[in-house]
Amino acid sequence: MIELLGAWAPLLPVLFVALGGLGLMLVDALVKDKAELAMGTFVVLSLGAGLALGLWNEPVTAASTELFGGWVAADRLSLFLDVAICGGAALAALLGGGYLREHQLERGEFYVLVVFSAFGGMMLGRSSDVLTLFVALETLSLGVYGLVAFRRTSPRAAEGALKYFLLGSFASAILLYGSALLYGATGHTDFVGIAASIEAGDAETRLTILAMALMVVGLAFKVSAVPFHMWTPDAYEGAVTPATTFMAVVVKTAAFGVLLRVLFVVFGDDMLSAPSTGWPRVLGALAAITMLGGNLAAIVQRNVKRMLAYSSIAHAGYILVGIAAAASGPADAGWSETALSSVLYYLLAYTVSNVLAFGSLILAGSHGKEAVSYEDLAGLGRRHPAVALPFVLGILSLMGFPPTAGFFAKYYVLSAAMQMGTGMLWLVLVAVLSSAVGAYYYLRVLVFLFMKQPEPGAVVAVPMRSLYVVSALVLSGYFVLRMGLAPNAYLEFALEAARTFG
Amino acid sequence: MDIGLGTYLSLAAILFGIGAVGFLSRRGILLQLMSIEIMLNSVNLTLVAFNRWNPSSHAGQVFAFFVIAVAAAEAAVGLAILISFYRLKKTVESDRADLLKG
Repeated sequence: MIELLGAWAPLLPVLFVALGGLGLMLVDALVKDKAELAMGTFVVLSLGAGLALGLWNEPVTAASTELFGGWVAADRLSLFLDVAICGGAALAALLGGGYLREHQLERGEFYVLVVFSAFGGMMLGRSSDVLTLFVALETLSLGVYGLVAFRRTSPRAAEGALKYFLLGSFASAILLYGSALLYGATGHTDFVGIAASIEAGDAETRLTILAMALMVVGLAFKVSAVPFHMWTPDAYEGAVTPATTFMAVVVKTAAFGVLLRVLFVVFGDDMLSAPSTGWPRVLGALAAITMLGGNLAAIVQRNVKRMLAYSSIAHAGYILVGIAAAASGPADAGWSETALSSVLYYLLAYTVSNVLAFGSLILAGSHGKEAVSYEDLAGLGRRHPAVALPFVLGILSLMGFPPTAGFFAKYYVLSAAMQMGTGMLWLVLVAVLSSAVGAYYYLRVLVFLFMKQPEPGAVVAVPMRSLYVVSALVLSGYFVLRMGLAPNAYLEFALEAARTFG
Repeated sequence: MDIGLGTYLSLAAILFGIGAVGFLSRRGILLQLMSIEIMLNSVNLTLVAFNRWNPSSHAGQVFAFFVIAVAAAEAAVGLAILISFYRLKKTVESDRADLLKG
């Protein structure tokens, strides 16, 4: 199979997912039962993840390198991101299969948009030229705008989609202007060419720094770092919950993947990435306000989906700590592989934990009454312990409680930052303090699940029955526990991907 | 007056600024969409101007074509979302998008 593709082999996962998406569009026209599409989407995307794993030890041939030119990267980082993106999208599609049927929203577009957005995300993860970056980012974003607006009769969905679209396009325009200035400053559009030009001192310095600032701002919008996070809670709340899950896991993973590539490949120059004067400093500050802003705003939320949206903002802050740490070592030591691998491990752990939390929220409601507020969850643990169990596991993992994936994710990021010496100490302190604040709103979910009772006369949300949702929960629950009990294999996987940056 | 690279870049920067300020200050969603288009077109001007003064490859001009194509796709999706919003709320003012907050 691999020999058959020749030089195209490193692109196998992306090509497969793109063709799978085209196939699903045909199948959509033929089948009546749209839930079968959910299964098809799941199969296509998990095979995409499987192919990426299968290519892990395949050497990249010189023919491939020549074929892709500077446009597309063929390395382990892109395969790692493929696994995280396809895995997250596959689980979100399963959640969609249960949710859309229960709420009578079933239309095939949902799955097709999921597959093509995931394709955009995979391309974004391997983009190695500002042009590829822009086109892939728009492929991802345009699909997701559609997913948010999916429930056409809901004013909330339309409003969430509108806000997301307006701010998302604004951010793209800023990113694009940065790319154009970078092209002007260096005369190249491919990452390696730009980096070489900056390294050689050919680039116009002021223009390069301005371009870097614009690109970092544009990408900060996409990873929803404070103060560029305004769209996140609205879009997350307005979207149907499986689409929210997709945004939380896929869009964030892909955006962080490309942020890593942009920072460490394009702007990896000694001057631009100096710990005290370059972008690590800026990213550290961004991480601190993101963690504080996300966690503090999450406390006052009354809607669980909104709370999870702010929690995802806070998690973006923890990930940024890892990125800042990777470049904060001694001048001649290069990037810290430990810190980079902790960032990648965090992305995996974050993906499975969020699928678990959002999936449990989907499972807790049914047609007529969705579970959205804390009150809707009151007493659920007593009435339906089987529904509360995955919820507890997901919340504990997001909180960072051992033995879950989330615990080790936080632990690795913070210990990597600690190794960087006293310069990062304040950031670690902010991270620990803000996660202590975070424990309050996560525990509040558990309090409502087990210690409160619904108000007399209130409409109680009845859990739905769906094999699709249950299987997504079982899969993500397995990985949350597995990554928490035996994290070494996954950490090794992340470390091998982190070595891409050398 | 000598028309050089700087002239084009300044014009593009001014256009980008007009677009950004328009996006942030206007409340009509259609006007905000137009502001985004102005920003994208100022980027095109920047790219083409840089390519004119650095003609070793055509990367800048090719890039500009991609931006035009993507802007068209973006406008299509954006107007669809706008129509869906208008049907439900009977307005195209972004101030009236006030259901979701907190």
